[in-house]
Amino acid sequence: MASIPLFSGYDAVILAFQFLESFAFIALAAVGLAIIFGMMGVINLAHGEFILVGAYGTALSFHAGLPLPLAMVVGVTVTTIFGIIVERTIVKHLYDRLLDSMVATWGLALALSQLLLIVFGSSINSIGMPMGSVSVGPFSRSIYQSAFLPFATLVLMGGLYVLFTRTTFGVKAKATIEDPETARAMGVDTDRMYLATFALGSATAGLAGALFAPTLGSIQPDHGSLFLVEAFVAVVVGGPSVILGTLSAAGVLGLTSGIFTFFYDTFAGRMALLVVAIFALRALPDGITGYVEDLRQKRREQA
Amino acid sequence: MSQSTKPFGTLRSIGGRIRAPFEGPNTTGNSTAFWVVFLGAVGFLMMYPQMVNPLVLGDTTRYFALGFLALSLCLVWGFGGILSFGQVAFFGVAGYAWGIISINFASATGMTLGIVGAVFIGTLFSFILGYFMFYGGVRDVYVTIITLVSALVLHTFMAQTAGSQWVIGSARLGGFNGMHSEHFELGIGSTGIVFGGTSPDPILRYYYFVVALLIVTYLALRVLVNSSFGMTMVAIREDEDRTATFGYNVPFVKLVIFTIGGALASLGGVLYTAWGSYISPSVFAITFAALPVVWVSIGGRESLIGVVGATVAIEWMQDSLAGTGSEWAMVIVGGLLVFVILVMPAGVAPQIERAGKWLLEKLPPHSDQQAGEPTSKQTRGDD
Amino acid sequence: MSSTGDPTVRESPAVAATGPAKDELLATDGLTKKFGGLTAVDTVDFTVEEGELRCLIGPNGAGKSTLLELITGQLSPTEGNIYFDGIELTDRKSHERIDAGISVKFQSPHIYEALTVRQNLKVPLQRTDRETETVLQRTLEQIDLVEQADESAGDLSHGQQQRLEIGMATTLDPKLMLLDEPVAGMSIEETNEIADLIHTLHDDGMAFVVVEHDMDFVREISERVTVLNQGEIFRQGPIDEIENDDAVRRIYLGENA
Repeated sequence: MASIPLFSGYDAVILAFQFLESFAFIALAAVGLAIIFGMMGVINLAHGEFILVGAYGTALSFHAGLPLPLAMVVGVTVTTIFGIIVERTIVKHLYDRLLDSMVATWGLALALSQLLLIVFGSSINSIGMPMGSVSVGPFSRSIYQSAFLPFATLVLMGGLYVLFTRTTFGVKAKATIEDPETARAMGVDTDRMYLATFALGSATAGLAGALFAPTLGSIQPDHGSLFLVEAFVAVVVGGPSVILGTLSAAGVLGLTSGIFTFFYDTFAGRMALLVVAIFALRALPDGITGYVEDLRQKRREQA
Repeated sequence: MSQSTKPFGTLRSIGGRIRAPFEGPNTTGNSTAFWVVFLGAVGFLMMYPQMVNPLVLGDTTRYFALGFLALSLCLVWGFGGILSFGQVAFFGVAGYAWGIISINFASATGMTLGIVGAVFIGTLFSFILGYFMFYGGVRDVYVTIITLVSALVLHTFMAQTAGSQWVIGSARLGGFNGMHSEHFELGIGSTGIVFGGTSPDPILRYYYFVVALLIVTYLALRVLVNSSFGMTMVAIREDEDRTATFGYNVPFVKLVIFTIGGALASLGGVLYTAWGSYISPSVFAITFAALPVVWVSIGGRESLIGVVGATVAIEWMQDSLAGTGSEWAMVIVGGLLVFVILVMPAGVAPQIERAGKWLLEKLPPHSDQQAGEPTSKQTRGDD
Repeated sequence: MSSTGDPTVRESPAVAATGPAKDELLATDGLTKKFGGLTAVDTVDFTVEEGELRCLIGPNGAGKSTLLELITGQLSPTEGNIYFDGIELTDRKSHERIDAGISVKFQSPHIYEALTVRQNLKVPLQRTDRETETVLQRTLEQIDLVEQADESAGDLSHGQQQRLEIGMATTLDPKLMLLDEPVAGMSIEETNEIADLIHTLHDDGMAFVVVEHDMDFVREISERVTVLNQGEIFRQGPIDEIENDDAVRRIYLGENA
């Protein structure tokens, strides 16, 4: 535990890594939820379990002999299929019922984490972290966690951005969010759109789980809530814009968490993140990107 | 209401007047049949200790203590429209407060006054959080999130209080290990009624204590909910903005509702800690925080008696399944929750009420009581 | 406060005299509302007497709804003052204005659909000191919904819902009732029912400001009419004079830039 006064160059680097790790964790965990919340107004409280399914899929295939990258693909695929099933059976009935969707998906989360326990036992062996570590002065950081994951996060965000702005899918998706009636009149199969978006959100959750699997140590069925809270908070603090919202929220919350974890401990980091989130929601009830959008709107009106 | 010149008539009209404040469009069960069943249930609860061993009795008492937590969410969500995942925060704060007071003032007086003190502290906390949210213009799902996050902040904080430096007076907070308090004694000075411990008598006394409190609280809530304040709550729940246009100070009313809910949750927390002379940070965890939502969703969010019934039933089911080594309790609860939301979002209680009415209609109208009895769908003259 | 000092607003002589016996209930003084570059309400001096039934008409975009929103407090004026029953309302919040005696019914029905008709009426009624049961019964009779008292408001027809909403507004015992397009989209029968209701309430002494497009309806209920155009008061006077006024017809047809 470092104390405040002596802030060396090494400390700065460690702090930076701490931030990157928190940032990557929050952003990856949140973006799947953000896609679903932002696009469909559904809050999936089973999101943590979705991520966990991705982690389980990855870990089990890895332990069955597949090389890690392939195991991750398996993890993503399993979660996507699972997501499609959940959408068709449960979620599609809840599209205009925000609070009900929270409660129902929480029921799903309860059942799911318990089923994982029953089927796979109380834990699964860990996957060792690939890529080794690097020394920074007296400290050593895992390259995978401090560098690769943040990098992967940015690549994923970039990819999603391109998907939403440059592809037909993205255009149709945006049309469906803004005005489903008109979109339908334009020939968009909104039902298919919702399914595809939920599948995308699930796939992203699965990817988060796959990527984080090596960092979890032994994988346990109650890890879902670890992901859920940070994701949930980031989505709401981020606001309506999926990509920018997730990035800005992960930035702010990751920085808060990183700083407090660095100077005190992980408990402090978590508490600081949660407290900042409370005040952020109170100050910016539409989230960061919602606030920015309001500013833009006001400026337009004055023009 | 049908009046009769038979002697029964006067009794019935007196009964009607006594019943009036407890009835109205906002509660399930406004018929004579309901009150008959209710009195029957109360009678059953009085006899219950004769039928079971002290261990089971103790467990049942715990379920009833949790019932206060369920009632608190029922009021705040079912009637006020505020979905709070943070009722456990007040439950836990009051529980810990009582534990700390009871350790530092380990006499009967201390513990008895401690109830008041602890409930006050928990309620104060709910007042502050409510003020922060409602007077800050926070609405709908953001209230839900802030309440959830508040509970989680407490969870994270309390979990790391294991060190010996975390003491209040002589009470060690204990972190993950939890905090043990003294056995609960109600009374003044040396004339206290001991409630805690594992011997049968205190368990029996505590059972009656909690059940009595629960019944009184339930009836008081019925009066509240059927009063004009209850109407205000419902109006805000249905359409907050429209209600404001009639001149209601909506943030203030929400604050009042939330604070009353906080008081109920706090009382539950005190009873819970006193029950086992123990409390741990797990009461602030997300799994426990979501439990009241489970109980209330399944029981029927607008039914006070439904949520208490659901709490007892669900907790009992979990305990019995865990007892037989089965791990399926949570799967069943989770599945039940999904089922209820999809198929009967108003919960189980309205379905039971409907079934009850259907049954009543099947009975031959052998007295003017059946025929003239207004159902809860109709409003009585002075609700 | 005189009705207007603007010489371009022609007061039809027959109704110009407001005798000393009548009191001004509502008066705006130079009321202006600007949204960025757009002036929605422009220096309006709008007066309503106690117990008067005034209709507010004008082409789309004339500023009628904005004027109502300024009176109810939903919008704050850019300039100008509002006086009601002897007090200045300009800086008062919406619910204070309601307490002062102004009631409003908006365009789209905003009732509690899940509650019964009776419960709907209770919500505003509770706010007053009036005796619940008698007022409830009387209101139900006035709005002609006695049979439907215990039905869900969401099950009512559009016209019935509008009547319910007017009923809800009257339970607050207002001195002035603002109605924003009360008969929009209604059948002739429903429109007549609303006209009857307004007459009943007006006979009891309630003042009205009714924004409407339906000229038959306006003719049916109004004494005086104020014509708004481009945020300003264009004409004021009895309905026959206004209807026969060429300039008024032109602004409706859009020939006035």
